[in-house]
Amino acid sequence: MASTAPGYPLHFVPVGDLLGILPILIVGGGAVMVLIWDLVRPRGQEVWLAGLTGLFLLAALGTAIGQWIANSSPIVVFNGAYANDRFALFADFVVLITALAVVVLSPGYLRRRGLAEGEYYILLLASVAGMLVLDGALNLIVIFLGIELLSIPLYVLAGFARDDQRSQEGAMKYLLLGGFASGFLLYGMALLYGETGHTSLTAIHAFLLRDATAGHIDPMVLAAVGLLAVGLAFKVSAAPFHWWTPDVYQGSPAVVTTFMSVATKVAAFAVFLRLFSATLAPYRAEWTVPIAVVAIISMIYGNVVAVAQTSIKRLLAYSGIAQAGYIMIGVALGRPDGTEASLYYLAAYAFMNTGAFAVVTILSRKGEDCDRYSELAGLGRREPVLAGLMSLFMLSLAGFPLTVGFFGKFFLFSAAIHDGQLALAIWGILTSAVSLFYYLRVILKMYAPAADVGAVEEFEVASVSPEGTAVAAPTALGPAVLVVVLAGAGTIVLGIFPAVIYTLLQGISVVHG
Amino acid sequence: MSWPILSVTLFLPLAGAVAILAIPSSRARAIRLALMAVTAVTLGLTCVVLVAYLAVPPAAASKLSGTANGQSLSTIHSPITFQFQEQVNWLQSGTSLSHLHLAFNEGNSAFNQAAPPPINFSYHLGVDGLSVWLMALAALLFLVAAVVLSQRETRLRTFAVLMLLSEVGVLGVLTSLDLILFYFFWEAALIPLYFLMIGWGDRNRGRAALKFIIYTVAGSLFMLLAIFGVYFITGAQTGVYTFDLPTLIAAQSFVHTTQATTFSLFGHSFPLLNPQEWLFLAFALAFAIKVPLVPFHSWLPDAYSSGTTPFLIFFAGIVSKLGAFGLIRYNLTLFPQASHTFQPLMLGLAIASILYGALAALAQTDIKRIVGFASISHLGFVVLGIFALNVDGLNGAIIQMVNHGIVIAALFICVGVVESRFATRTLSELGGLARPMPVLAGLFLVVTLAGLGMPLLNSFVGEFLILLGAFQASPVWAVLASLGVILACWYMLRLYQGLTQGELRLPGTEAVSDQLQTVSRRLGRLDVGPVEVVALVPLVALMLVIGVYPAPVIRYGRFSAAQYVQAANRQTATDPALASSRASARNLP
Repeated sequence: MASTAPGYPLHFVPVGDLLGILPILIVGGGAVMVLIWDLVRPRGQEVWLAGLTGLFLLAALGTAIGQWIANSSPIVVFNGAYANDRFALFADFVVLITALAVVVLSPGYLRRRGLAEGEYYILLLASVAGMLVLDGALNLIVIFLGIELLSIPLYVLAGFARDDQRSQEGAMKYLLLGGFASGFLLYGMALLYGETGHTSLTAIHAFLLRDATAGHIDPMVLAAVGLLAVGLAFKVSAAPFHWWTPDVYQGSPAVVTTFMSVATKVAAFAVFLRLFSATLAPYRAEWTVPIAVVAIISMIYGNVVAVAQTSIKRLLAYSGIAQAGYIMIGVALGRPDGTEASLYYLAAYAFMNTGAFAVVTILSRKGEDCDRYSELAGLGRREPVLAGLMSLFMLSLAGFPLTVGFFGKFFLFSAAIHDGQLALAIWGILTSAVSLFYYLRVILKMYAPAADVGAVEEFEVASVSPEGTAVAAPTALGPAVLVVVLAGAGTIVLGIFPAVIYTLLQGISVVHG
Repeated sequence: MSWPILSVTLFLPLAGAVAILAIPSSRARAIRLALMAVTAVTLGLTCVVLVAYLAVPPAAASKLSGTANGQSLSTIHSPITFQFQEQVNWLQSGTSLSHLHLAFNEGNSAFNQAAPPPINFSYHLGVDGLSVWLMALAALLFLVAAVVLSQRETRLRTFAVLMLLSEVGVLGVLTSLDLILFYFFWEAALIPLYFLMIGWGDRNRGRAALKFIIYTVAGSLFMLLAIFGVYFITGAQTGVYTFDLPTLIAAQSFVHTTQATTFSLFGHSFPLLNPQEWLFLAFALAFAIKVPLVPFHSWLPDAYSSGTTPFLIFFAGIVSKLGAFGLIRYNLTLFPQASHTFQPLMLGLAIASILYGALAALAQTDIKRIVGFASISHLGFVVLGIFALNVDGLNGAIIQMVNHGIVIAALFICVGVVESRFATRTLSELGGLARPMPVLAGLFLVVTLAGLGMPLLNSFVGEFLILLGAFQASPVWAVLASLGVILACWYMLRLYQGLTQGELRLPGTEAVSDQLQTVSRRLGRLDVGPVEVVALVPLVALMLVIGVYPAPVIRYGRFSAAQYVQAANRQTATDPALASSRASARNLP
């Protein structure tokens, strides 16, 4: 069913192939539909655009769930170019759920910041389509296609706050450095193609397996692997390829940052895992140490630099770099338990990071994002629910038990120790201890009495909001809070019952080619 | 036991916390009564567990039960007897290969090894002669804290809820019999404690809380790595991959410690210590920070001096005992040979804690910091008793853990009363308080004497047994530790005399004698109130009861101590260097 039989006219695409990429078709088609609706809609009805976007994402999610249930064995379509296996579907779930959360957060936020435009949702859907392409890509060309489809809308989205200089600066940096990263990736692909003569991951894997079994290590392939790793490390924002991250995260509108920090990471790691742990597995002995070094650098750099931040978005950006380092442990192991652990962590990360950014989104007021550290002061009194949930997300990112972040680290460290990579586990542990410092400081900031913050601020708080009547920052209740609450519920429930996701991962399959 | 009494005890405070959340925060009286009711019922349940445990003849219960994962070990008895066991599967990854592993291995066998072992852990509870005592102590101290908690405390409802959540965490640590469940409670208990620390206390509390959490979690994370180490090493050598504590304890009889390390740093193996010794150190680090032993103690003075009295009652009273509990429950049983290898190290740290804590207590001017350093010194004795590695020492350590909980709670109540009345903690600003506060001075005297190890009071029993055990291990340790007892008289009496005896001195007053009349008129308001008396009297009564008639406590503690010593002395016959300590263990009465 995978191949087009000879004799068919070229333009004929088998239905089976189309069914295999149905979630992508729905999301891509959705982008077009939203574009059309945006042209004909009455002015000032952006909420309906969000509703329509959400509907398409839900449909795609439903389709993906249906495919998960229907096909326990992987389906390879388009002549081996795309695998609709459970690995891809799992990544699809995480991406789509995150995108849904972002769509729910968006209308209120965009209205408050005066950014409400229809293009936003079109770009978002296009980017999601790119991510879904990446999740199941089984061909170098398809990977590149997915990367670009993902990135180009994001460049625009990052600069979506057109009158905000920081947003523009971030977008420009993202575009330039992203272009370089794509270049690295493309060079890597070219070298790999030149050496093996294939773009299909299946064929490349077979070639490398033959090569390595014969005891022959090809330097050109090594160069290709290195270039691919650099390009992908950029996309997952792992140090030392992270330089764009803090500026872009800080400059972009908070909803875009939410989307970028979670969904992009998931899709890029999906490629990373499939490419390295599966396709390039024969060369594992060569790349495992460099990848481990990148993981360790990310963990150290992200966590240590986050300590010095005074901006919440930058703090979360550096925390994201550190988290990329943790997930990279699973890539560096290059074994099934590492892959499982990384996927688990990605799912966990989706809950806790979406939640944390969603709180930032809700707190953002007219004109600018909630970004300064001091804006959190006294949140425990003003917004007890939001502060409580934010604390939960911080504890989860720090890896405390009762939260999903604990089991994320649990499976990663367990896999690292089992594979004898003690250095990865020990650096993970040490940097986790460092991370407590800044995660807990956020909590401290929210709950510290005004006296600890400073006498002047205490006076201001006391004069503005007597007896807890929140005059200063009324929360836009409604769907946005629902996202935070759901993310919080997921963080706790999965933190107590890790089996929910773990059993899903047990039934996972990955086509490595 | 068909009725899951441990689960009920464990989750009763949680249910209580939810119930208290339903009370409007303005109804302070109702909240406080509910808090007292919940902690009292929990205490009742732990007493039921205690009595029921002591009623069962130990021999009848010594059967390893409920180890679903340990089929091949089911005939081997764990040296430790656990009762009231409950076990429910928590995460079962199954024994068959997952699809992912199959896909990886397909046509790729040259580059992928066999699938990793399944990860299984369970919700497994149980108690032994060590944890029943500590459970009862914990529940008692939480009740005392609830009694002392003032109705006027700011954000009373939040405090009550966090306190009950801490109790769940503490009881969970004491009852869990699965390494992952244990770690889960061990870390989760920190969350309410952290919020209690940042929300209530003096200005310094934010820094103190951060310091405490970072210290503790850094140590705990190494323990997490070591838990995986135990899991994989035991699994690789015995074929039983489990986090289940009774099974693991039984399995340690089969683990060869001489085998070369299976850990490697990018291919280079560690030549220095064998794996068991590394694992011992990782566990010991986590527990030494919690106790705390001396090089890891610097979080304690800050935390103890910035906290409020109700918080300190259970924080100093029971949370610090969890470290000593962990050393006994995990280090002795899982790493018997390493326990002997590192006996000098641990004893040295214990002696250092005893002496350093005592000397530092002498140098303090802040009354809460004096109590804090005294606590370090006292807990040094507990660790000394544990690593004497004989029945007397361990028996003393178990008793002393309970004793120290009672004494430190009472000390913090007394000191807390002084602080709340005069708004100062500086020793030199206070004096002669016995005249305006006679009741406090009387109770404080008993507590002080208990704290310095006076015969006929509880600490004497524990310290005596610990020194007896230390003497058997090596007279040098006992002599050094005795210095700590002498210093204890000094710093405890310095605190007591400084506060209660001599000229009446109050902060901010120069001509004190003129004001004595005024002060005396306010006598009723200055002295301890009914609430503090209600909290102190049971503690003081326990000090007297245990001090005068310690036989039951010693007898029941002895059985458990013997079990743990037996567990720690397994697998040591091949090592001639350890023969002496084994012999000393065997010669015991």
